[in-house]
Amino acid sequence: MTQLALVIDLNVCVGCHACVTSCKEWNTSGPAGFMTDENPYSKDPTGTFFNRVQTYEIGEFPATETLHFPKSCLHCEDPPCVPVCPTGASYKRKEDGIVLVDYDKCIGCRYCSWACPYGAREIDEKQQVMKKCTLCVDRIYDTSLPDTERKPACVLACPTSARLFGDVHDSESDISIKIREEGGYQLMPEWGTKPANHYLPRRKTRLHIHEDELVRADNPLKKEQRGPSKPVDAPTLDDSTSW
Amino acid sequence: MKKKITYTEIEGRSLGYYALLVVLGALVLLGAGAALYMEHNGHYVTGMSNQIVWGMPHVFAVFLIVAASGALNVASISSVFAKTAYKPMAPLSALLAISLLLGGLVILVLDLGHPDRLIVAMTFYNFKSIFAWNMILYNGFFVIVGVYLWFMLDRTMANYSKYAGFAAFFWRLTLTTGTGSIFGFIVARQGFDSAIMAPMFVVMSFAYGLAIFLLVLMATYSWRGAELGDGTVRRLKNLLGVFIAGAMYFVVVFHLTNLYMTKHHGVEAFTLRDGGIYTQLFWYGEILVGGVLPLILLYLPVTGKSRIAISFASILVILGGLAQMYVTIVGGQAYPLEMFPGKEIIASSFFDAGVKSYTPTLAEALLGIGGFAMALIMIPLALRILRFIPVSMADAEIDPHYREAK
Repeated sequence: MTQLALVIDLNVCVGCHACVTSCKEWNTSGPAGFMTDENPYSKDPTGTFFNRVQTYEIGEFPATETLHFPKSCLHCEDPPCVPVCPTGASYKRKEDGIVLVDYDKCIGCRYCSWACPYGAREIDEKQQVMKKCTLCVDRIYDTSLPDTERKPACVLACPTSARLFGDVHDSESDISIKIREEGGYQLMPEWGTKPANHYLPRRKTRLHIHEDELVRADNPLKKEQRGPSKPVDAPTLDDSTSW
Repeated sequence: MKKKITYTEIEGRSLGYYALLVVLGALVLLGAGAALYMEHNGHYVTGMSNQIVWGMPHVFAVFLIVAASGALNVASISSVFAKTAYKPMAPLSALLAISLLLGGLVILVLDLGHPDRLIVAMTFYNFKSIFAWNMILYNGFFVIVGVYLWFMLDRTMANYSKYAGFAAFFWRLTLTTGTGSIFGFIVARQGFDSAIMAPMFVVMSFAYGLAIFLLVLMATYSWRGAELGDGTVRRLKNLLGVFIAGAMYFVVVFHLTNLYMTKHHGVEAFTLRDGGIYTQLFWYGEILVGGVLPLILLYLPVTGKSRIAISFASILVILGGLAQMYVTIVGGQAYPLEMFPGKEIIASSFFDAGVKSYTPTLAEALLGIGGFAMALIMIPLALRILRFIPVSMADAEIDPHYREAK
């Protein structure tokens, strides 16, 4: 069975919000619209976003670092939002594992929002139905687009390629290899929801340079049988001649 | 010898009667206007957000639904536990149960994003959803209590009223279990996620329902100028005290259990100490106003005999109940989801970092109050049409064990 998902590399996410804006742009214009914003530029702005970037601070001051954490629906393999929906408007597709909401069946009771432990449910305040990330289901199967563009809008927009898209059930897919080899993990696995989206952890690359390495023991000038140049502070020709 | 109890309608021609209808009717209209305003403009004109998705209307709605099943208790005591002294009050108790449930459901439905799709909710059932089960339980309650009421009021069917009473009792327990489970089954929120929610709601329903019943009963007899025996009032107020204590017991056990579990320390600290308005509502509203003060008023010898004090205690139970619903429903959502235990979001461009804020708007409060008024306005209307209440509730008339004081 196919399970489409995103893998988000927290090591390279710079928190630029390109995924947020591209998601909003694509989905507002598509069947998932309107994703209403009210008072976007004034007091008390509210809005519907399928993808949000939140910022955490790790460690105690002054040894702190900032982590940008993009969060959208994780398309759980056992999604808690589906069984709670009274009308069955919330459902998980068998063919590709995407969790979707049937906007025509949703009565707007918002109970799914309570059930999602990740806070990924969004209410469209104007249409009064629950919405969520669709993994750009209207885009990834669109044969009028070139192959390379049949990916979620956020994946295409990410400037650092922190967002990858593919089938987590295919062990040879790019994202499965990433998850396997680079320590990909699920959010709150203890809930048993088996989120399909994975995160790649922050990875530190430290360079240790020994003092010896700063002095060149094998000066290439030796090979050319030329003596090393004089020390910088030694007198030059200009110092010893008067013309 | 068993005395025959005569039931009656109320006359309903006095100025006071019409004034009551006008006041309650105005509140209902205000509530309807508020619902229309929110429906027309959308969710954003309410104080609710993407984080606090259930607000003030749900506080009223859940309170009324819980109180509805509790209001049926008096009838259950007579039919299930065969206490004759409660029998004369049984029709009023069943009527109040129906009206409170209707009031609560009106609020709940009008606060749905799409009340127009109620037919979808009725035709597409997801049987795994406790919410869907609740719809069946609510509808079933109307049918079963309606039949029970019919059997009680129709003399030819009176023999069957006991069985209908049993069914209604079973159904009301199931209904409140279902309502409590709406919260108990939510494992994603630290404030709920507990099997004790269901029995706690059952006991809370006993207290809320009886408090409203006592007020309605005393008001009806006082305004009619008919006698309501001290024995009946004493019996009911003592029962109310027991129910309040029972509800408080469950609250204590719920919080003690959470305090024992390290992973729930955060949410407990939030409710009991650091939660601002939620902490204040918990201690001052739920515990003091809804529990300690009414218990003192009901059991202190000086106030325990005063009907004014008993009425006041009942009002306090209702206010405390609303506070309890607010702490449970809104407080439970305001506490942030613990995505990374021990870590909190320090910044977010979406205003969803940290503890969520919620300020109820006037429209939300009006919808809630309108629903409450709707539940209440049905009582004087129904009492005028059908014979729900005994002519006299004097102890000598209704209590088989009554002895004249020497």
